[in-house]
Amino acid sequence: MAIFESPESLHAVLGTFFERLRQVDQAYLVYQIGGTLEFIFNKPSTRIRWIPQPPDSALPFRIAYGEPTEPVLLTFEQDGDTAHRFWLGRVNLQQALARQQVIARGPLSRAMKLIPHLDTIYPLYQEHLVAIGRSDLLEVRR
Amino acid sequence: MRAAVVSDYGEPVRIVSLEIDDPGPNEVLVEMRASGVCHSDWHAVSGRLPLPVPMVLGHEGAGVVRKVGSRVRQIQPGDCVVLSWIPSCGSCWWCTDGHPELCERANDAAVNGTLASGDKRVRWDGTPISVFSATGTLADFAVVSERSVVTIPSDMPFEEASLLGCAVQTGVGAALRSPIRPGDTILVVGAGGVGLNIVQGARIRGAAKIIAVDLSATNRELALSLGATLTINPAKDDPLLAILDYTHDRGVDVAFEAVGQVELVALAFNAARRGGTAVAIGVPAPNENLSINAFAFPSQEKTLTGSWYGGSFAPRDIPRLVELWKSGHLRLAPLIKRRYRLDDTPKAFEDLISGRGGRSVIAW
Ligand SMILES: [Zn+2]
Ligand SMILES: [Zn+2]
Repeated sequence: MAIFESPESLHAVLGTFFERLRQVDQAYLVYQIGGTLEFIFNKPSTRIRWIPQPPDSALPFRIAYGEPTEPVLLTFEQDGDTAHRFWLGRVNLQQALARQQVIARGPLSRAMKLIPHLDTIYPLYQEHLVAIGRSDLLEVRR
Repeated sequence: MRAAVVSDYGEPVRIVSLEIDDPGPNEVLVEMRASGVCHSDWHAVSGRLPLPVPMVLGHEGAGVVRKVGSRVRQIQPGDCVVLSWIPSCGSCWWCTDGHPELCERANDAAVNGTLASGDKRVRWDGTPISVFSATGTLADFAVVSERSVVTIPSDMPFEEASLLGCAVQTGVGAALRSPIRPGDTILVVGAGGVGLNIVQGARIRGAAKIIAVDLSATNRELALSLGATLTINPAKDDPLLAILDYTHDRGVDVAFEAVGQVELVALAFNAARRGGTAVAIGVPAPNENLSINAFAFPSQEKTLTGSWYGGSFAPRDIPRLVELWKSGHLRLAPLIKRRYRLDDTPKAFEDLISGRGGRSVIAW
């Protein structure tokens, strides 16, 4: 069974996590990408974007859902299950690209600047799951 | 004689009355006693596998030799035989190079709907018609090249023997000629007639863990009984994630695709570990292309390869498979889930495409 049975259930977990990421120290890393980052999800089918805001903004990026109306620099396409495992720190991006679990389009090197910081971000997702009452999602089948 | 014929692509399979000629000098006349119903026959009916029509279907058969041509020395009337749909010539570049399954003349015969001699021996209202891959086993009789028959013990049940002609040679052969090492973890995508025999071949080769992916509950149960250690229902679980869970994210040593769907070939490749091998065995349509990650070839030393007829050479491999069957290493009877009479062949095809699982055999 899929972790997220509908776009709404994915937004309620990953969407709210991304909203929360805007407020942590690592949020400013989004400027290193230098453009809009889009996550395209399959199973369930939906899209979420991180759109960088001007440097004097209160938060470094804003979150947008659905079809893009603005230019997108970089996209990561994956299933909801893979996305969940990724933010839990259970997916090696290099392996996932080789296995087509994640399909990246655009200047991948820009996203690579985030990779060294992911180890500090994964625990935030676990904390977030607990905070929103979804600690049932902390364990994935093994 | 009666035969199951496809008169044109997309037309229903019909049982019609045909005339059959005497065998040519290097040919034999076989009275069919059992013939498996294979997905490749169905692909010829639907036109996905473009072969010349009208055509007598069937390529997985066993029977008794009734007449032999003037130059036939090795085979006698009364011999029990399995038919091979690749009558390797033994002298073309490919045969000489050690790849009789790629025999140029056998391939030409299949594409043209003729026997290895280039002749047609079956007529419909006086007009010669094609046979499936130099055989045409879904008929009361078949005239085939002497290179298309291999003798079997007279006490071997024809229904079980018939499966050696296609599904077993293809599946077991692919496993035996793959890089499987004792203790390996193997993936089989598609546990139908061929896939179940890949499971058996992998077990014979010493694989420790065998994962089978199939939509049919019947096929998953059969896979478990023949040596699979895990089955995955792709309608319920994401196969790649389940495979990665089972292999602690490493992936499998050798993966086989036995359906012929490009996405499933990609699944087999994606499920293979770094340095692993994926083998494509299922037959896609001739105009289908595949998309996979190119970086994985050099950076992960992955291999994607193919297997045709399991790399088999029937005169060499059928006797070995018979020995494996006699010793109990190769099981044939459990593969057969349904039996029909020749007149009910259209029903056998209906059941095949409805995905009921297991092999269907026409018996005389
Ligand atoms: Zn076949
Ligand atoms: Zn040849």
